[in-house]
Amino acid sequence: MNGKPENRVEKIVSDLLRGRRLKLRGGDAEEKAAIMAAARLAGARQGPQRMSSAFRKRLAAGLDQTRREGLVTRRAALVAGLGLAAGAAGGVLLGRTGAPEPASAKTIDPLDGRWVDVGGLDEFPEGEGRRVVAGGVSAYVFRSGEAVSAVSSICSHLPCELTWQAAEGNLLCTCHPARFAPSGNPKGSYGLTALSKVHARVTEQGRVEVLGTA
Amino acid sequence: MTPEEPADEQANVVELPAASRATDIALDELELVYAFIYARVGNRPDAEDLTQQVAMKAIPRLRQGAPASSIRGYLFATARSVLGGFWSTRLGLSEAELREDLAMAVPPGPPSEDRTLAVQEVLAQLSDNYRRVLELRFLHGYSLKEVAAEMNSTVGAIKVMQLRALRAAAKVRLPE
Repeated sequence: MNGKPENRVEKIVSDLLRGRRLKLRGGDAEEKAAIMAAARLAGARQGPQRMSSAFRKRLAAGLDQTRREGLVTRRAALVAGLGLAAGAAGGVLLGRTGAPEPASAKTIDPLDGRWVDVGGLDEFPEGEGRRVVAGGVSAYVFRSGEAVSAVSSICSHLPCELTWQAAEGNLLCTCHPARFAPSGNPKGSYGLTALSKVHARVTEQGRVEVLGTA
Repeated sequence: MTPEEPADEQANVVELPAASRATDIALDELELVYAFIYARVGNRPDAEDLTQQVAMKAIPRLRQGAPASSIRGYLFATARSVLGGFWSTRLGLSEAELREDLAMAVPPGPPSEDRTLAVQEVLAQLSDNYRRVLELRFLHGYSLKEVAAEMNSTVGAIKVMQLRALRAAAKVRLPE
């Protein structure tokens, strides 16, 4: 937890008592029990809550729309002779509406950036992540044929160095069991932001370069 | 990434009453879901977002003609899954790491009618100072400064006491 835990928890309590969202950040997990208790106390202090009329109307409109989409999908399934009706149709809808995409990754574009040679293409085995340092930018470079891609070697959640897990084909955070695919997208049940992209290229001479700093 | 779905989600497709009444019935059930979620996240914006997520996830799986009790059971199973995902994402922890904390949030049924009473039961199990600081803060809405004045202490000391009191309260299981 950044700073003194009592200050951080007080900020969260203060937000809750003002009816604000829970804005948590890296490190708050250390006080998860206290934070969850604060949320429950804040939630219980006024007794059972009812939806506001504005929210109820929004929800009703969403339900009607979902139902219409469901009926269309169900009819299409029956026409196709699949007989799967709502179960499968619901699955399709769920897949489309319920699975949040990882927050989009930023690309590291250093001011006064410069291309830094990090090795020959033949030093980057296909399908393996290799960590390189280009001045102030550290990255994992992945080769795919004659092309390369790169993502930041710093976890998008806790600012710790990632390690390449060859057996699983993942980048693993050393501070926290968060995993990322070579594309930078998070894996598992964390819903984290994707890793920042890093510019990388292969020169005509077969050298790999990463856009870093002096 | 999505949180784990209820284990029986694929098999558990519930029937929903016919069209025009269906939305009203679903909304009435979602009122209970909203109260359940609000009691655990403690604020309206998050409770609204999560209730909407529950509706969007569960409603497409409901079919015409089911009793309200089946719908309710399915909505609450989905609500538990959505809440698990919420805490997991906000705290950056896997649901496995939150298992004990989330287990406390799983109710046998709809939320009880008097949660204020439930809070007082929790507070009653704390030491005098811990109970007092949480009562003043959460039930009476005192600021830290006001709590410090009331308890003849300093703001810094009250902040520390509040954290310790919350840790202690977390160990007391709230009656559902």
